[in-house]
Amino acid sequence: MSQTSEDEVVLGPRRVVGRPVVRPARTASVQGYIPEMLKGLGQTIGYALRNTKEMALGTRNDPVLESIDDGINTISYPEQRRPYPERFRGVHRLTQRPDGSPRCVACLCCSTACPAQCIHIEAGDYRDDAQRAGYEKYPKRFVIDELRCIFCGFCVEACPCDAIRMDTGIHPAPYDSRDQFIYERDLLLAIPGREGEHETENPRVEPGEPGFPGIARLQH
Amino acid sequence: MEFLSSSTFLLPFYGFLKAFFVAMFGLNLGVILTWVERRMRGMIQDSIGPNRAAIPLPGPVAGGLAFGPALLGAAAVVGLWYSLGQDSGEGEAGGHAGWGMIFTQAAVFLIWAFTAIMARVVRERGAEGAFEEQFADLGEPRSIVLTGILTHLALLALGVASVGTPYEQSFTDLSFSGGMALLVIAMLGSAGYVALRLFPEKEVRLTLLGLLHPAADGLKTAFKNDFEPQKGDKLLYQLAPWISFFPVLVLIAVVPFGPALCFGKASDGSIDFSVFQGIEAVGNVCRDARFSLQVADLDVGILYYFAMAGTAIVGAALAGWASDNKFSLLGGMRAASQMVSYEVTLGLTVIGALMIFGTVRIDEMIRWQTENAWGIFVQPLGFFLFLAAAIAETKRVPFDIPEGESEIVAGYFTEYAGMKFSMFFFGEFVAVISSSTLMAALFFGGWHLPFETATGIAVTLGETTYFTAEIEPSALAVLGFLTMIVKVVALCVFQIIIRWTLPRFRYDQLMRLGWRKLLPASLVNVMLTATFILAIQSASAQVQGWLTWAGQLSMLLLGLGFLASVVALLVFLMTPRQKRKLVASSAARYAEAMGGVRSLKMEA
Repeated sequence: MSQTSEDEVVLGPRRVVGRPVVRPARTASVQGYIPEMLKGLGQTIGYALRNTKEMALGTRNDPVLESIDDGINTISYPEQRRPYPERFRGVHRLTQRPDGSPRCVACLCCSTACPAQCIHIEAGDYRDDAQRAGYEKYPKRFVIDELRCIFCGFCVEACPCDAIRMDTGIHPAPYDSRDQFIYERDLLLAIPGREGEHETENPRVEPGEPGFPGIARLQH
Repeated sequence: MEFLSSSTFLLPFYGFLKAFFVAMFGLNLGVILTWVERRMRGMIQDSIGPNRAAIPLPGPVAGGLAFGPALLGAAAVVGLWYSLGQDSGEGEAGGHAGWGMIFTQAAVFLIWAFTAIMARVVRERGAEGAFEEQFADLGEPRSIVLTGILTHLALLALGVASVGTPYEQSFTDLSFSGGMALLVIAMLGSAGYVALRLFPEKEVRLTLLGLLHPAADGLKTAFKNDFEPQKGDKLLYQLAPWISFFPVLVLIAVVPFGPALCFGKASDGSIDFSVFQGIEAVGNVCRDARFSLQVADLDVGILYYFAMAGTAIVGAALAGWASDNKFSLLGGMRAASQMVSYEVTLGLTVIGALMIFGTVRIDEMIRWQTENAWGIFVQPLGFFLFLAAAIAETKRVPFDIPEGESEIVAGYFTEYAGMKFSMFFFGEFVAVISSSTLMAALFFGGWHLPFETATGIAVTLGETTYFTAEIEPSALAVLGFLTMIVKVVALCVFQIIIRWTLPRFRYDQLMRLGWRKLLPASLVNVMLTATFILAIQSASAQVQGWLTWAGQLSMLLLGLGFLASVVALLVFLMTPRQKRKLVASSAARYAEAMGGVRSLKMEA
C-alpha cells in the first residue's frame, strides 16, 4: 500500500502513519458563541416539536421495525417488548408425542450433560403389556430447577430424542419464592414452543406403527 | 392618583381576588413547567418522562366527568341562543352574524376533531361496534383534519362574501340557529360517546397527560422526613426556603395581566361596575374610574421587581450558611456572588428601556408599546442582555453553578429535604414565570396584540387604514388577558428550551461573562439609547414620521410573522414522515408477525 507523504506525521521520536486531524477553523461564528448557541436551540426546538408531534399523532417509530429512522425508538419495556431472536435459549419445554405423552425416554443424557446439575429425572418402566415396553422408559418425574439453570443449552444438545427444547421464547419469570422455580414434568410439557406447538418437526415412529425400525429388525 | 382615592370597601376584595389569581397562576404554571421540563425533555432524549401518577375513577364517575361539562356547555349555548334571539326578535339584519359564525366554527371544529381522533383510534385498534365501523373507511386522520380546516376557511369566506348581498339575512339566520343546533349536537354527541365508552369500565385512570405526576411528587415531599442539620443555625435554616420562595412569587404582583378596564363612577366616588366603558388602549383613556388588572398598582413599578428579586439572593445565601455544610456554603457563596453580579446587569439593561418608555410604571410602559412599537424592536440588545441576566438571576442552566451538582453535590440546598427542598426547587420555576412575566410586559407589549386599539383591530400604515375589525370591548379585555398568558407561557417554554440545550458555565467564565461582557454591553446599550433619543428629539418632523412608520411596520411584521408561523406549524403537523421498515433479524421477523411492537398498549 502506498502512503503519501502527507499521511506520515512525526510525533516526537516516532513516525506515526495517519492523517492529521484538521482543527475546525476558529471562525467568527464559532468564537462568537451566539450563532452556534442559536443553532443548538433550533435543533432542540426541532426535536421537541417533531417528537411531540409523533407522540400526539400516534406515528412514533415502531421501536423494532422502524428503528433505523430518527425519532423515539425507546421500547417501554414492561408494556412493549422486543421479541427474542429465533435462537434465544428461553425456558425449557418437554416436547410431546402425537398422543400427548412426553418424547423423553428418561435416558438421563441431559441431566448428565447439565453443568449446573439442575435436572432431576426418575425413570419409570412401562407396564409389560404396553407396546413401548422393552424399548424405552418414561420419566416418572422430570424436574428442572430454573433457578440453578445457567441456560447453556447443553441439555438440548445432549438429548437424542429431541425431547427437551429451549425454543419457547420466554425468559424465566421472577417469582416470589424458590419453590416456584422448580418446574415439574407436567408444567414443562404444557409450555408451548414459539408458534404454540407442543410437538417437534422431527418424526418419530412409535412401536406398532408401520416403519418402526425396532419391529423391522425383530422380524428379520 | 385619583383611582386610588376612589377605592371603597369592595376594592380589598378585588385585590384579594387578584392576589389569589396571581398566586394560583404562579404555582400552577410552576407545576406545568415542571411537567414540561421533565416529561418533554424525556421525549427529546428518546425516553419517556414520568407520567405514572393517576387518579383511579370508577367508570360512571369518569363518564359523568366527560358528559357533565358538555351538558352544561350545551345548556349555556342554548341559553345564549335563546336570550340573543329574544333581544332583537324584530329582525335586525346581521345582528347575530358574529355569534352565528362562532357557533358554526366551534361546531365544525368539534366535529372534525372528534372524527379525526375516532378515525385514528379505529385505525389503531380496530372498530368495536357499529358506530365505530363508520370511521373505519374515512381514510387518513390527516385528510380529515385538512378537510376540517378547509371547511373552517370556506365558512368564513362564505360569511364574508354574503355581507351586503340579499342572502345575508338568510345566511345569518341559518348560521345562528343551525350553527347552534350543530354545536349542541356535536358537544352532546362526542361527549356522550366518550361517556358511553367509559361508563361500563371498572376503573378509569385519569393521568392528564402525566400532569398529575409533578403534582404527586410535590405532595409527596410534604410527607417526607424533615431533616435538620445538628449544628446548623436552626432559625435561619427554617427561614431560608421562605425567603427564597416568597419574593419570586410576589414579583408577579406589579405586572398587569390585561388592559386596564374603564368603569363609570358612582355618586359616592366609588367604581360603578355596572357601567363598562371599554379598555384603556390606543384611542381610549379612562375618564371616570380605572380598574387595573394587577395586584399592586405601584408608582415605583419596576423598582419593586428589582427590590424583591434582590431579596431572593438572601434566601440562597442564608440556606448555604445555615446548613453547616461545606458544599452548602460554597453553593451559597456562589449564589450570592453570581446573583449580585448579574443584578447589576439586570438593572442596567432596563435603564435603556426606562429612558425610552419614560416611566417606571409597568402599565405605562405597555401603553407606550401599544402606541409605538414593542420593546424588543426599540431595545433588541437590551432584551438579549436582560434575558441572559434574568436566567442568571433564576440560577438555572446554563448559569446554575450555585447548584452545580457535578461539583458541589446540590449546592446551597444540599442539606434540605422534603418540603423545604421542594420550596427551593419550585421557587426556581416560579422565578422563571415571574421573569417571563416581566419580559413579556417590558419587551413584548404585555397584553397587546399588533394593531390592537380600544375598539378592535385597525391595521394602519402611514396615514392609511387598510383593515379594521370591530371587537367588543369586553371581548378585547378577555383577549388581552389570554394574550398576556400566552406570551408568558411562550417565554417560559423558551427559557426551558435554553435549559435543555446549553451546558453549564464554569465559575470563572460566568464571572467573566457577567462583568466583562454583559455589563459593558449594557452600558453601551444605555449610551446608544441616549444618543438615539437625543438625535430623535432634535430630528425633523419628517424623520419622526419615518419612525412612526417603522413602528407600524414592526407591528405588521409581527402580525405576518405570527400568521406565517401558524401556517408553518400546520404544514409541519400535516406533513407525513416517510418511515423505512427494516426486517433484518429474527426478532424483527417475530415483531412483524405480531403486527409491530408499537401497537402494544403503552403507558407513556
